[in-house]
Amino acid sequence: MKLMEVSSLTKSFGKHVAVNNLSFSIEEGHCVALLGPNGAGKTTTLEMLASLQKPTNGSVSFLGVEKGDYRESIGYLPQQPVFFPWMNAMEYLVFMGELSGLSKAKASMRADELLELLGIADARKRKIGGYSGGMKQRLGIAQALIHEPKLLMLDEPVSALDPVGRREMLELMKMLKETTTILFSTHILHDAEEVCDDVIMIHKGELAITGSLSELRRRHQEDVIIISADGNLDEWVRSIENWNVVSKVIANNDTIKIYVKNAEVARNQLLVEIAERQLPISRFTVGQTSLEDLFMKVVGK
Amino acid sequence: MKKWFVLFRKEWLEMSRNYKVIWIPLVFVLFGLLQPVTSYYMPEILKNASNLPKGAVIKIPIPSSGEVLAQTLGQFNQMGILVLVLAFMGIVSSEQRSGMMKAILVKPVGYSSYITAKWMSAVLLSGGAIFLGMLASWYYTILLIGDFPFMDIVKGISLYFIWILFLITFTVFLSSFLKSSGLVAAFTLLLSILLTLLTPLLKKWMEWSPAQLTNAAASLFTAGKIEGPFLIPLITTVILTALFLYLAGTRKSSLSRLG
Amino acid sequence: MISQINWALVAPIIAIQVILMIIALVDLFKTEKTNGPKWMWVLIILFINILGPILYFVIGKKHA
Ligand SMILES: Nc1ncnc2c1ncn2[C@@H]1O[C@H](COP(=O)(O)OP(=O)(O)OP(=O)(O)O)[C@@H](O)[C@H]1O
Ligand SMILES: [Mg+2]
Repeated sequence: MKLMEVSSLTKSFGKHVAVNNLSFSIEEGHCVALLGPNGAGKTTTLEMLASLQKPTNGSVSFLGVEKGDYRESIGYLPQQPVFFPWMNAMEYLVFMGELSGLSKAKASMRADELLELLGIADARKRKIGGYSGGMKQRLGIAQALIHEPKLLMLDEPVSALDPVGRREMLELMKMLKETTTILFSTHILHDAEEVCDDVIMIHKGELAITGSLSELRRRHQEDVIIISADGNLDEWVRSIENWNVVSKVIANNDTIKIYVKNAEVARNQLLVEIAERQLPISRFTVGQTSLEDLFMKVVGK
Repeated sequence: MKKWFVLFRKEWLEMSRNYKVIWIPLVFVLFGLLQPVTSYYMPEILKNASNLPKGAVIKIPIPSSGEVLAQTLGQFNQMGILVLVLAFMGIVSSEQRSGMMKAILVKPVGYSSYITAKWMSAVLLSGGAIFLGMLASWYYTILLIGDFPFMDIVKGISLYFIWILFLITFTVFLSSFLKSSGLVAAFTLLLSILLTLLTPLLKKWMEWSPAQLTNAAASLFTAGKIEGPFLIPLITTVILTALFLYLAGTRKSSLSRLG
Repeated sequence: MISQINWALVAPIIAIQVILMIIALVDLFKTEKTNGPKWMWVLIILFINILGPILYFVIGKKHA
């Protein structure tokens, strides 16, 4: 079932178009990564979905209802979570819980649960002003989850964390995605590949590629053979560019990347050539392009 | 409505954590007490401090109770307004700048509840401070100078409070539209000073002016009855207050604001 | 001359000033950042009569 459907979402700031004609949908129960480099429009998109910014154009429908107020059903972690430094974690969570429509009793129960779950129960009575960045990130997740939202939106939940914190956050997201639909933004493809089912790649505000990870792998992954040599292979490179089995060759100093249509055939042909010509090969690798390459291609770097 | 109270409670918790609940009323009480005391001791202070030639006779009459109370009102109108405006200038804009506003509005909360909860808490605290300060002044005036009818005090404060209500509402209004708290204070104080100065200067043209309410309250103290325009300024002030509150409590097209 | 001053009347005024001073100092020590150095605010609070604590509350505190 589609939880959220976004159609031709657009946001411009004066002449600058931050998000342009973006359409995608989020399946209930899925974990979706909104992927894009800095300035791609991730935060702007998420804020529009969280009704914090009004789209210049386009619409968002939640559970089939267009233009409804669905804030009760979403939890949102901003890129830089902020809090009242003069409150303690418990007070803050209860406050946010009550604003989300919970009773005071229910809110404090949920707050206790979440503080425990996120491992900051010991600091529940301490002023948030004295929290570390990682603790604030956890508290930010806790406030987003306080009312058991149907959709959890996280804006770059791992970018600001150190390797350990990042590992923990990814594990936490894996656990949360068992029970909640998650949409999170990131500029690191690796994180997306690790936890999510679907990706939405955007670049300069426009949708570049969307689909499930497995589908993207199938569609966009190519076999590639990488050859390194101790000498100059330029001449030979030009000759293999015309092979039927080769789709593209990228030569970079001593390393040649050969994108091929059939790894086995190409490998055999190449090995024969190398032996015949006695080329000064130092490395020969058969592999597949990663999604990282796809991402880089999209981003145009 | 329940959420409105949650927001309202948060405002009071914040004002007690940063001691506004204590220091703002105390400041008004302090000014309220100082006025009758200085009025009472002024002749003596002058006599001692002055290096007047021997034999010079100075006669400084001690002002009447009503005059002292009107002076207190004047003091509130300068120092008091300054204190209140500076205390509340960031009431919305500081949360806008810190991002706290977004953190709250991403929850299912109406923008107007968010604003009116803030407005109400600022109004109640200012009102309480002014009432306490004026009562303190009244008490000392009775002790030192002479009796003054309690009902007139209540009437006078109430009139004066409407003028303060107008200024606080204007502060909240600007704070919800401008990012810089400094500008909020500057514009509100400018408005207050302009109205206060121009109202007596351009009597004919300024009958509607909210600042007339200060004069009405002062005349109630000094003359025992309201002199000058009263109903017209009362009506315009109430209308303007409602208008500014309405403007503050409605988002235009988007959450991203000017400045 | 001074003896003529009614101390029962003046005492509350002094008490309020002292309370304001104490609250301002407590707040000053609790907050991390002030506009300008902290020691300066300590001096202002302690030595500027009546206005010192008020000045601290309205312009001394850094607003988030
Ligand atoms: N309020 C605003 N006014 C003007 N331009 C804005 C505003 N907010 C965002 N932009 C512009 O819109 C574009 C997208 O910004 P956005 O913050 O959505 O990017 P992002 O993908 O979240 O980047 P990052 O990875 O750095 O967080 C940027 O070019 C930014 O400069
Ligand atoms: Mg961003």
